[in-house]
Amino acid sequence: MAANPDSNISEIIRVEHLTKKFENLLVLDDISTSFRTHEVVSVIGPSGGGKSTFLRCLNLMETPTSGAIYVDGVDICKKGVDINRHREKMGMVFQQFNLFNNMNVMKNLTAAPVKLKKMTAEEAETKGITLLRRVGLEDKRNSYPYELSGGQKQRIAIVRALMMNPEVMLFDEPTSALDPEMIGEVLDVMRELAEEGMTMIVVTHEMRFAREVSSRTLFLSDGHIEEDKPSHELFDHPESPRLISFLQKVL
Amino acid sequence: MQFIQTIIKILSKYGNFYAEGVRNTLIISLMAVVFGTLLGALMALARMSKIKPLRWLATAYIEFFRGTPLMVQLTFIFYGLPMVGISFPEVSFIPDFSRFMAGVVAMSLNSCAYVAEVIRSGIQAVDPGQMEAARCLGLSGGQGMTMVVLPQAIRNILPALGNEFITVIKESSVVSVIGIADLMYRTNGVKAKTYNVLECLATAAIIYFILTFTFSKLVAWAERRMAHGRKS
Ligand SMILES: Nc1ncnc2c1ncn2[C@@H]1O[C@H](COP(=O)(O)OP(=O)(O)OP(=O)(O)O)[C@@H](O)[C@H]1O
Ligand SMILES: [Mg+2]
Repeated sequence: MAANPDSNISEIIRVEHLTKKFENLLVLDDISTSFRTHEVVSVIGPSGGGKSTFLRCLNLMETPTSGAIYVDGVDICKKGVDINRHREKMGMVFQQFNLFNNMNVMKNLTAAPVKLKKMTAEEAETKGITLLRRVGLEDKRNSYPYELSGGQKQRIAIVRALMMNPEVMLFDEPTSALDPEMIGEVLDVMRELAEEGMTMIVVTHEMRFAREVSSRTLFLSDGHIEEDKPSHELFDHPESPRLISFLQKVL
Repeated sequence: MQFIQTIIKILSKYGNFYAEGVRNTLIISLMAVVFGTLLGALMALARMSKIKPLRWLATAYIEFFRGTPLMVQLTFIFYGLPMVGISFPEVSFIPDFSRFMAGVVAMSLNSCAYVAEVIRSGIQAVDPGQMEAARCLGLSGGQGMTMVVLPQAIRNILPALGNEFITVIKESSVVSVIGIADLMYRTNGVKAKTYNVLECLATAAIIYFILTFTFSKLVAWAERRMAHGRKS
């Protein structure tokens, strides 16, 4: 499951000199990196370092101030890019789950793909059941979000994103709002996804997940990528003083 | 005892007078809330619009109409506007049509400002994460609004609209000053005929209370029904 050494595998996202400012606050400062198909990359770093902002720039939930983000070779920062079509390619999972409170589980899964004509209602339902079965929640298809535990909600949020057949899955601290006993069930689903070859970018505080599941880890601090290395190397031989002190605090 | 006997006497003699007043009060209140809600929905959209001048205008409207007395707005529309050449037409088959229109327009414009705030706060009370999730799936802002946000906001908005109707029933008593034959106007009429000032006013108060109390019970009942269906 570790690093994929095959360099022929195509690059799916390339970020060049990405900068993001909120008013005068420089949150991302000249970030350049790239992600390959099937790669699983963790993003770690101190609070306020810009991890969420980085992730949100990738699906244009934030508009980059300058720089370029190539997805499948197209710069999505250019004018004229269909933002909604781009977002269909990028599944997003939130810390707070954000399941639609006014819909039951099956509706949560099928509403967007059916509305966006990705599939018919029957196809969506069939796909929904298949995916729910895979995360062990087939029996919850008629439940409403308030009837579910945090871990169940997050597994369903992952399924909801998968319904769109995304090319990349973005996770923003998917286990941070969970009670400890529910973290495992969500990480298991993510681990399976990684094993199936999904391209994943995961902002996380779960250092074990970063080390064991992701092939590469980025350390983002103060808007800079301080280190960007294969995960084992980053955790076993941290170089920058900031990373060393960060790891001392969290491990 | 004497007091109650007088009230009963007034009601039996002038009952249809009061009834007509109640009818007019309800008609005006209902129209004000219906038009106020339609206009208020648009006003709320303008108030939350991305277009700055539109947002600014809507905010100014809302602040102005909530910040000045309805009495002033009403008399301005009925007495002031005709002076600059704007007046409501008379229609032969409805007596006092222009008077009535002025009342409905003033009440609607006023209610619009309150309803706009009710709708805006109802929408903004929905967790922003809901819209965010919709957008992340590739849905447009409009689709996220109609599929996800509004169905949740409506549960905040409907009870508040019910309360707005109750407020309007009470506030509508000011239309009596421009001569619309509502409950308050009829009360004043009976008062002038019978000189039973206290009894006439008490009768009006009781009728207003019965109206608002009935509707507030209805609103509470509807609210409970809605909460029963789903929690958030
Ligand atoms: N919409 C916004 N407007 C203004 N400032 C913002 C906005 N979003 C984020 N910021 C600021 O940008 C900086 C980076 O925020 P970001 O949420 O990306 O950090 P993070 O690394 O995800 O932190 P955490 O671990 O706490 O989630 C912070 O200083 C934050 O206050
Ligand atoms: Mg964050």
